[in-house]
Amino acid sequence: MEFKIAADELKKALYRAQGIVERKTTMPILANVLINASKSGVTVTAFDLDIGIVSEHPAEVMKPGAVTVSAKYVFDIVQTAPEPFVTLKRLQNNYVEITSGPSHFKIVGMAPEEYPKLPREESAPLVKVNGGVLLEMIKKTQFAISTDETRYILNGVYFEPREGGKIRMVATDGHRLALIERELDGDFKLKSGVIIPRKGLFELKRLLDEAPDAECHLGFAENSALFKKPGLTMVMRLIDGQFPEYQRVIPKEGEKQVTLPRLRFLEGLRRIALLSADKSNAVKIRLGDNALRITSHNPDLGEARDDLEAVYRGPELNIGFNARYLTDVLSVVDADEVVFELGDEHSPGVLHAPGDRSYTAVVMPMRV
Amino acid sequence: MPVHRAILHVDMDAFYASVEQRDDPSLRGKPVIVGGHPKRGVVTAASYEVRPFGVRSAMPMARALRLAPHAIVVPPRFAAYAEASEEVFAIFESVTPLVEPLSLDEAFLDVTESQALFGPPAEIARMIRQRIAREVHLPASAGIAAVKFVAKIASDCAKPNGQREVPAEETVSFLAPLPISRLWGVGPKAEEALRRDGLLTIGDVAARDPRRLEDRYGPSGRHLWELAHGIDDRPVVPDREAKSIGAEDTFEEDLEGEEALRPHVHAQALRVGRRLRKAGQKTRVVQLKIKYADFELVTRRKTLEQPTDDGQTIYRAALELFSRIDLGRRVRLTGVSAQDLGEQAQGQLGLFDHLPEPPRRSDRLNAALDAIAARFGLKAVTTADLAGHIRFGDEDDEARRKVGAAVFDSPTARRK
Repeated sequence: MEFKIAADELKKALYRAQGIVERKTTMPILANVLINASKSGVTVTAFDLDIGIVSEHPAEVMKPGAVTVSAKYVFDIVQTAPEPFVTLKRLQNNYVEITSGPSHFKIVGMAPEEYPKLPREESAPLVKVNGGVLLEMIKKTQFAISTDETRYILNGVYFEPREGGKIRMVATDGHRLALIERELDGDFKLKSGVIIPRKGLFELKRLLDEAPDAECHLGFAENSALFKKPGLTMVMRLIDGQFPEYQRVIPKEGEKQVTLPRLRFLEGLRRIALLSADKSNAVKIRLGDNALRITSHNPDLGEARDDLEAVYRGPELNIGFNARYLTDVLSVVDADEVVFELGDEHSPGVLHAPGDRSYTAVVMPMRV
Repeated sequence: MPVHRAILHVDMDAFYASVEQRDDPSLRGKPVIVGGHPKRGVVTAASYEVRPFGVRSAMPMARALRLAPHAIVVPPRFAAYAEASEEVFAIFESVTPLVEPLSLDEAFLDVTESQALFGPPAEIARMIRQRIAREVHLPASAGIAAVKFVAKIASDCAKPNGQREVPAEETVSFLAPLPISRLWGVGPKAEEALRRDGLLTIGDVAARDPRRLEDRYGPSGRHLWELAHGIDDRPVVPDREAKSIGAEDTFEEDLEGEEALRPHVHAQALRVGRRLRKAGQKTRVVQLKIKYADFELVTRRKTLEQPTDDGQTIYRAALELFSRIDLGRRVRLTGVSAQDLGEQAQGQLGLFDHLPEPPRRSDRLNAALDAIAARFGLKAVTTADLAGHIRFGDEDDEARRKVGAAVFDSPTARRK
């Protein structure tokens, strides 16, 4: 194998690979990328047995063949290459020579035959999707995904087909929940919802962020998802299990409703959380006539409060929240105002844009 | 309310050894040592017959046996001690709800308000000791004073099988001739420092100017002076729920490296899980304890996102804690414990708390394992890394191995 490629092109592929390859692994080859050169160009594969990305890159191929080398080291080498082009050449015993102008590297590789095979998902019916909308859906739910590995069902986002070609995405960590419903067109032929794992979703977000307007296709086979955009394919294994009955924890309509200027509320929470008593970011909220007060109290530091004008008439309520759970939502809502629906001090708070529940977040209070 | 409080300190005499002598008549009147392994173990308790030879609890067994080669060594039966302790505490609690346990065999009782019912404090102490003798067949001593630490010293002076009252107005003269090491909070280091300054008895401290003591020793200087005058307003704090459940083992030989320690920690984590389930409790804080060969002790703790009673989850947390501990040294003991139990599930409420959550797979597995263990013993089913390597035995046998384990295991755990 021998080919010459633009350093930037190879860098792009290796950068994507960084998020996938496993650094701490019992299988050293999973820290590698598979580089395959053929007449039509070069493909770079990164795979951790759950998520795999294969990308195609134009290159001047002198001799077809394949190698597998450390994703990290080759990325670092290519990133610092002195010339705009690099040449990769396979030597004896799976060594790989990387040259760029005057610099020269000889890197230990492994036999490409040992690289694990990606699952072929020809059967997945691919649906053309609007990358911008998919990106919005991910950004507005991903923060609520649980990182607690003992609750692996919640370690991903629930992707659920609804009536009228709509797709609902739901994420929850058991303390808060984010739900978004958008039109993604096309029929995914899903009988029920599937759970897309956190890591795969982050990679998907990264790929969409690179070029939100590119033509994208998404499809699902039995227990994996397939994503394609020009020059790139991603497969990932889905989380196997039953997502909780999330509908049951979304309150119908809160008895107390207050409309708030989104940015003021967001900034107020951030400020007051500076003095919250522990890592939980606890703040207290007092809702009274046309006023909302955020306070925090820290025995070691002091106390803080912030007052907001709010459109509200009704009984007073004192309730505690993890400010982080609220700011996560407020930073991604598009509207200038948000509606905050509340029940009593032990009932969940609900956030959404005025008159629009297609993006809704539910946050459980804290006992304070 | 009377001007002075009436505090009792009731302490069982050579508790474990007395239980052994009670249950085995052939041991009565003989020098008995309750203790573990003759080489590595320590003396858990020594009967009064063996004390004249210099044998004390916490002394290495090897040394004790050099001092008293004729002593009869019996292995501890913690279940029996826990049972006796339950009975003794039931007697305390029939007198006053203000019982502060210090261990299985001693407690403070605030009987200030009980006097109307049971008479003067010395009478109450006598009644308690008689009931313990009659109902539990064990000797106990009591100290009676207006403050806690004086009551404790008084019971010590009354041993064995006696009681001593120090009226409030006699406190200072009672304390004065005692060595300063009897003051609470004076350890060997502080004792040395005080001795160097010519303070040999509590009376010496009482005679000094408190301001000068404060200048010299900081706030604790003033505190010492107050104690020397019998000023100690710490209240008797009644029993709280068990704060922790744990399991620990001292190894037959010191071990080195994570590989060697892992199966032990795994077995301990599973034991903690079992005990949590038995107690119907869950924990969010897992603590790993390591004692090195040189007796240096380190602990590391991790807070879980979800409360658990699953041994495997506790084990995973303990493994993460390994990375924060120097494992390049020889280790003598490891322990795993569930901490901060019974604390109000304060803070964040859960979305799904009110939904009937489908039982986790681990819950069903644990229920099945517990049922199998109850019927066929702990060895019947275990994880592969433990099979054949780690000693099991029933919970009682397990309890015999370690004081800590037994204390946690027993229903009187909260008395620790």
